[in-house]
Amino acid sequence: MISVTPKNLSEHNVKLDLNNLSPEQVALEIKNLDLYYGDKQALQDISMSIPKGQVTAFIGPSGCGKSTLLRCINRMNDLVDICKIKGQINLHGENIYDRHTDVAALRRKVGMVFQRPNPFPKSIYENVVYGLRITGENNRRVLDEAVEKALRSAALWNEVKDRLHESALGLSGGQQQRLVIARAIAIEPEVLLLDEPTSALDPISTLTIEELINDLKKQFTVVIVTHNMQQAARVSDQTAFMYMGNLIEYSDTNTLFTTPMKKKTEDYITGRYG
Amino acid sequence: MDNLNIGRHISGQFNEDLERIINQVMHMGGLVEKQLTDALTSVCDADEALAKKVLHNDYLINNAEVNIDDECTRIIAKRQPAAGDLRLVMAIVKTITDLERIGDESGKIANVTLESLSGEHKDLLSNLDNLGRHVLTFLQATLDAFTRMDYDAAVKVHKSDDKIDREYEALMRQLMTYMMEDPRSIPQVMSVIWSARALERIGDRCQNICEYIIYFVKGKVVRHTTPEDFESLS
Repeated sequence: MISVTPKNLSEHNVKLDLNNLSPEQVALEIKNLDLYYGDKQALQDISMSIPKGQVTAFIGPSGCGKSTLLRCINRMNDLVDICKIKGQINLHGENIYDRHTDVAALRRKVGMVFQRPNPFPKSIYENVVYGLRITGENNRRVLDEAVEKALRSAALWNEVKDRLHESALGLSGGQQQRLVIARAIAIEPEVLLLDEPTSALDPISTLTIEELINDLKKQFTVVIVTHNMQQAARVSDQTAFMYMGNLIEYSDTNTLFTTPMKKKTEDYITGRYG
Repeated sequence: MDNLNIGRHISGQFNEDLERIINQVMHMGGLVEKQLTDALTSVCDADEALAKKVLHNDYLINNAEVNIDDECTRIIAKRQPAAGDLRLVMAIVKTITDLERIGDESGKIANVTLESLSGEHKDLLSNLDNLGRHVLTFLQATLDAFTRMDYDAAVKVHKSDDKIDREYEALMRQLMTYMMEDPRSIPQVMSVIWSARALERIGDRCQNICEYIIYFVKGKVVRHTTPEDFESLS
C-alpha cells in the first residue's frame, strides 16, 4: 500500500511563485508585449514568466489573443504584414524581437505543432529527419538514431518501427499528430509550442497526446493553447487565462481551477455568461 | 442563495442540476431539524411513540443522503465543475455526510426515551433539555447560513460552538456527581450521558458544515486549524 504522508503530499504539490522565479527557472520571459493587427490591438501589455521544464497553458474564449501570443514566441506573426509588435520576449535573457535575431535559429529552439496534423507527403522517416537534413545533417547513423529517439519520445516508435519508409499520410490522425510532434522534437528544441494540438483528434488519441505532453516536459518547456479547459486542467502546471487581449490571471493550474482570484476567470471556467 | 450565483451558466441544464441538489440539501436539512426536535420532545415528554417515530424516520435522511450523493456524482461525471461550482458540489457532498450523522445522533437521543427513566431520575432530563434546545438553535443557525451561503454567519456560528462545549462539560460534571452520590443511578445516568454526548457531537457536525460554507465562499480550508488561526482568517 502506498502511504501518503503530509510530506509526500506537499512534495507533490510544489508550487512555483510565478512572480519571483529565479533566472535559472525561467524559460521565457514576456515583458510588456503589445501587438497590433493594423489599428486593432490584439494583445495589451502582456507580462509573464514561463517556467522551464513545465507545461504552461493559455486558455480563454475565441479571439482573446491566446494563439496570437503563442505565435509571438517563435515569431510566426512576422509572416502577417499588418502585424506590429512592441515589448520583449526574452529567451536566455535575449530579446527574440531584437533586430539581430536569426529567426531560423530561433525556430530551431522553439518548435511548434498546429491544430491539424500537417505531415509532409513523404515517408515517416523523412518527416522526422526533415529538420535535421535542413541543418545539413546527412550521416545515416546519426539520422537513424535521431528518428528512433524522436519517435520513442513521441510515443510512436512501437507503432511505426516496421514501416518507417511508408508514407506518413497513411497514419491515423492521432498518429500523424504524434509524428508532427516527433518532427518538432527531433531537432531538440528548448521550447515546444502546441496550438490546440488535439482539437481535431478523437478522445483516445487526445489522451495519448496528453500523456505524451506529460512525458515531454521532462525534456522541454511546453506551452499549449487549448479550447478545452479540462485539458488545460489535466496537462498543465501553470495556466494563463486571457480575455480580449489581456492577461487576466496567471497562476498554478490547481489554484486557477479551484479558487481563481478574478471573477472573469471564475465566470469563464465555470461556463457562465461574462 | 445570492452567494451561490448558480443561475448564470450558459447551460440551463447545469443551472437546474445545481439548483436541484441545493434544494435537496435544504429539504434534508429540514428533515434533520425535525428529527432532532422530535427526539428532544420525546425525551422531555417521555413520549415513546414519538421516539419510535424518530427511529423509524431515520431512513428518510439516509435515503436523502444517498440520492444527493448520486446526483453529485452524476454532476461531476457529466459537467466537470470547476472553481465555485466544484467547491459547491464538494461542500454539499461533505455537508450531507454530517447531516446524516446528525440524524443518527438524533436517533440515539430518542433511544433514551425508550429506556424509560424512573420518576426519581426525571430531573436529570431538565439539564439535557437545556443543552438540547441550544444545540437545536445552533443547528438552525447552521442550516440558515448554508441556505444563504453566508460567510459571516458561518464564522459566527462556528465560534459559538464553544458555548455548547462548555455547557456539555458542566452537564458532565453534574452527572458524575450524581453517580457518585447514588451509584444505583449509574445505568440511568449513563443513558443521559450518551444523549448529552450525542448533542455535543451534533454541535461538532454543525461546526463542520460551517467550515464547508467557508470553503465554498472563500476557497479557504479552515478544518483542523487552531482557534487563533481561525481568528486570523475571519
